[in-house]
This record gives sequence, C-alpha cells and structure tokens, in this order.
Amino acid sequence: MNDKELSPEAPVTGQARMDVAWGANTGDEMPEEAQRASTPQTGEIFEQVYTPWRGQLNPRWMRNWSILRHHLLGIFKKGHRPWTMPTRIFILIAFLASLSDAGMTLLSGVVGSSEFHSLFGVSRDNLYGHVLGFFPRNVLYYPIVAALLVGGVISEDRQHGTSALYFSRPISRVDYVGMKFLSVALIQALVVLITYLLYFLAEVVAFGRGWAWMVDIFPMFLAGMVGGILLIITYTSIGLSLSSVSTGRFFPGIGLLAIVFGTKTLASIVKNLFEREILYLISPYDCVAHVGQALIGTQTTYDQYSWTYSLVALVAMNAVALYVLATRVASMEVTRE
Amino acid sequence: MKDEPIIQTTSLTKAYGPHVALDDLNITIPRGATGLLGQNGAGKSTFLKTILGLIQATSGEGTVLGYDIRNQGLEIRQRIGYMPEYDALNPDMDAIHQVRYSGELLGMNPVVAMNRAHEALQFVGMGEQRYREIGSFSTGMKQATKLACAIIHDPDLLIADEPSNGLDMKAREFMIGTLNTMVNDADRSVLMASHLMDDVERVCENIILLHKGTLAAQGKIEDLKAIDREIEIHVWGGATLLEQRLLDQGFKVRREGRVMRIAHTVEDTTTNILQAAADVGAQIRRMHEYEASLEDLFLAIMDNLGYNVKSSDDLLKSPVEARRVDAPESLGGGAA
Repeated sequence: MNDKELSPEAPVTGQARMDVAWGANTGDEMPEEAQRASTPQTGEIFEQVYTPWRGQLNPRWMRNWSILRHHLLGIFKKGHRPWTMPTRIFILIAFLASLSDAGMTLLSGVVGSSEFHSLFGVSRDNLYGHVLGFFPRNVLYYPIVAALLVGGVISEDRQHGTSALYFSRPISRVDYVGMKFLSVALIQALVVLITYLLYFLAEVVAFGRGWAWMVDIFPMFLAGMVGGILLIITYTSIGLSLSSVSTGRFFPGIGLLAIVFGTKTLASIVKNLFEREILYLISPYDCVAHVGQALIGTQTTYDQYSWTYSLVALVAMNAVALYVLATRVASMEVTRE
Repeated sequence: MKDEPIIQTTSLTKAYGPHVALDDLNITIPRGATGLLGQNGAGKSTFLKTILGLIQATSGEGTVLGYDIRNQGLEIRQRIGYMPEYDALNPDMDAIHQVRYSGELLGMNPVVAMNRAHEALQFVGMGEQRYREIGSFSTGMKQATKLACAIIHDPDLLIADEPSNGLDMKAREFMIGTLNTMVNDADRSVLMASHLMDDVERVCENIILLHKGTLAAQGKIEDLKAIDREIEIHVWGGATLLEQRLLDQGFKVRREGRVMRIAHTVEDTTTNILQAAADVGAQIRRMHEYEASLEDLFLAIMDNLGYNVKSSDDLLKSPVEARRVDAPESLGGGAA
C-alpha cells in the first residue's frame, strides 16, 4: 500500500476488506514467489540439535560427595544450595562471636596479665565453657545456628518436590539422609569445633606452649571435642526429624528452639519450686552438658542423679528423632509429593 | 540389541495389603516412543515406581534396559532419565546450576556436569535463560528445565510423566517437538505418561493402556486403531433408507445425522455402500476412510470397560483439579 492509498482523499473501494477476506494477492503471481513470500520471518536462530554424551558416571561415593558439596559450598558461594542470607550472616556472626575467648587469650598473651589469662585462657572449665557453656554460646549462638540450618534441609525438598530429583537418581534414602545430616553437622562444626580448635591454637601461639603442655591438655581437649560432637549430633537429629515432618523452614527451626529452651526452662522451674533435678533428663541441652561435664571432669551442676542417666536419655532422644527422620524420609515420593 | 525390548515385565503384581495396584502385568515395550495411558488410579505411578526399582513388586519380574527391577534399581536409575510430573526444581537456584546438580547426583564430575548442563539447556531451548532463577520461570520453562535435568547424562530411556501438562500452545508444541527430536533424530526411547491423547499420538508409536492395575491394551497405535476401521460417508437425502439398507446387508453402521460410519469389514465395502445408495436414491457427497484418533481408541476401550471419560478438549478447558476423571460435578466433572 503506498502513501496515496492511505491519504484522506483516497476513494473508499473496500479493497482492504477484500484483502483481509480473500488474501492480499491477485492470484497472478508465480508459485515460486508465493512460496518465498509465505516463508515466516520470526527472527529465531534457534536450531535444536541433540548432543550425545558417552562419558563415565562415577560410583556412589561421588554422588554422595556431590550432595555434601552442594550443601557445604552453598554457605560460601552461589550456584550451590541457596542458604538464605540471614542464615549466612548469622553463621558468620556466631563464628566470630565464638572466637571471643580465642581473641581474649591472644590479648592476655600480649598484655602478659595472668589474671586475664586465668579468666579466658585454656583451662578445664574454659574448654567446657567454649563448647557446652549455657550463656552465651548455648543461648545465643549454637541452637540458633542449628535452627537456621535444619529448617529447610528436608522440608524444602517436600515443598519444592526436589526429593524427586534425588530419588529418581541412583541415590538411596540412607545416602540422602546421611549426607544431609553430615552437611548440617559439618556447618555447625565450623562454628562449634573449628572455633574450639582455634581457641586451643591461640593459647599455644600466645603463650608458646610446647609439646609437654599439649600432651598434658590433650585428654581434656578431646573430651571437649566429644562433648561438642554430641551437642551437634543431638541438635541435628532433633532438627532434621522436625524438618522431615514439615513442608516449610519456619516450623522445624522454631520447633528446635522450643524444644531446647522449653525443656530447660521447665526443668529449671521444677528444680526451683520442688528442688528436684530429674526433669533435666528431658532437656537435650542439659543431658549433653551433664555428659560433657563428666567427660571433661569439671564440677558437675547436676547433683541428684548420675551422668549415665543423662547419657541414656541422650541416646533415647536421638534414637526417637532418628526413627522419625527415617520413617518420614522413607515415605517421600518420587511420582508426587 | 536394537530389537530387544527396553522394558519387559512378566506377571508383575504389586499389592498394598488387600489393594492390588498392579495385577499380573505382562508388558513389552520396544525401543522408540511409548505412551502410558490410564485414568487416575489406573496404576501408572505404581508402574513407574516399580520399574524404577523404588518399590518392590509383590510378585513377578521385569527388566529395564536389561537390568532386573527387583535388585538393580540403582543401575536402572543411573541409565534412565526421569522427568517428574510435578515441580521438582529449587526456585531459588539458577537453571544452569540446578541442571548441573542433577548431573552430579548421577555421578558426573562437576566440570563435566556443567558442560553438559549448558548443552542440555541449549537443546531444550533454555540457552538464553540458563542464568535466571527458576522461581521467575513460566510453567513451560520449568518443564523444559526438568527435561534438561532428565537428559543431562544422555539416557537411553527417558520417562516423562505428563511432559506437556499445563503448557500453553506454543510451549506444548515445543515440548512435543523436542520429544520427537529425541526419538527420531537422537534415537533415544521415550516412555510418556499423559492424559493428553493428542500429545501421545504425536510422539508415540506404541501405547500401554492400564485400567485398575490391569493391562487393557498394548501395541502399536496404528495396529490398535485398525481394529475398528470404518468408512465415513456424508449423505444427502434418504439417509435413513440407506442406513436401513446397509443394516439389512449386515453392515455395522453408526450414524449421527447425515454422517454415517460403516465398519470396513469386507474388501468391497465401498462398492456395496455405493450400490446401496444408488438403490435407495441417496446422495453420497463425501466418502473416505475414517481414521480414528488415539482419543477415539482410548474412549472406545474405556467405554467397553464401562467407564465414561472426558476428552482432551474437556481436559484442556478445565482447571487442574477438574482433570481428574472422578472430579466433582462442581468442577465440571461428574464422570465417575
């Protein structure tokens, strides 16, 4: 259509309607031209080509490593498990805050104050305190880190249906839950145990401790390490079992905090009112603390029953949590969730 | 090797207590594309889980790509690609990393998995969107990403559960085209479970039809459709007389107004129809062999089994909840 045909003076012929109804062509054009004209020009340059691949798939250990790597590296960089920003920030805060005793030890070494060192330096009580002390570490840091981590680890696989991604591949339920457990435990270990190790190293560096001192302290150090491992396993077991019965990250996280702090608060109230400590056996934190005190050899704060009761209670609560976790993971579907 | 079936089951039975989900299934699925059809509750999901080795069969045996479904589930799942029906993607991850991770879960080296993720996403038309977060994807893009996850290791068999579910026309066309490319150009096999008969017919040459855990039909679609070959005629004037004449001659006639379909039972059926029309003075304006669609076949089989099911058109028009054959009447259902 040229400009003349579009001008206001152009006569109304009905040609446009005819073109719409019957096509704009006259019918006299050559077939080849019509063929060329009808070729759609969509501007797409996409060409679908299937590229075959005949590489080697690695065995079970590599698949399990990929799950572990996915969760661990997600804390540090993009492209792996997308941990939320508040979780990452809090882990960083908890890590730095957990290094406070290491910093004070270095400071006491620089200042040369023995009083300062007796307060913050490596000792039986301070090793216990770094891992199992209630305030501030087991109030402000470790349970909250655990709650933030366990919240969505399994529940979000239910929520997003990503469990199908695992179970439609050669991943067994045992490997799935085992690697998830290990991932969460290792991230907690970064905050609890690596800072514990750095605390010990700070003492060595600041005061030039030799082999004799290290060998002397090592049993206590090891006992504190075992206490920390028990703490991590317990928080992870309970947290993941809560995560496995949920489809969101809020309930498992808040549930773990409620169990840890609720049971302790209840036991404290009962102790203050009736002078009976036995209810501490339902508190995960207190059971670990009692066993930890016995292992390290500090003054025990639970006088009315043996630490073995706490150990049995600890085993029982872990067993129940792992049973719930195993049952719920076994019920996760591939075809629909 | 080419002639060997990719999936074969013998007397495969799966029971959950008193409820028999799969009942004595003897299925042979050859290479190529096969549609898995059946209503909700027919046993499709149980069948898929059984052949993936995720649940143990109560009795019977079977093989997938030559591996025993009873004790080689891990080997099977390493060699097949499974595209689930429902969302199976983390909305907070980029497509490229999600696909790479799915490759790593199969045992691929991370570097190799990343390279293959690029290739797989390019193949499914997601090359430009691979660094976008999955949470911002449309349904079609999510389906394409799921397909990329399933084919990252170039499996011999792709199991696609409702691959075109919820897609608009353009995305649906692309998905069907992609599956066809996999079958025809890449020479891979596809087992496609779907409620959309048109899609199954456009991709698959074979079907398996399950009904209440039993095998209702299996074989090539063309062969199954040929069971009920008919000739369709459009009649003007004297249609009732012609119908009566044909019935008198022993033909099986289905009539809807001026359109009649006559069973093509003998060699000279067309001659007999034309002769009958000439005898009764009826005009035949159009006459052709009626090619039944897969949907006709499905409806006919289900009709024989005593079920009233919906057509693809009904399914496409209705919301997801209403696509169940036993959907309540308030949702446009009422079939069951």
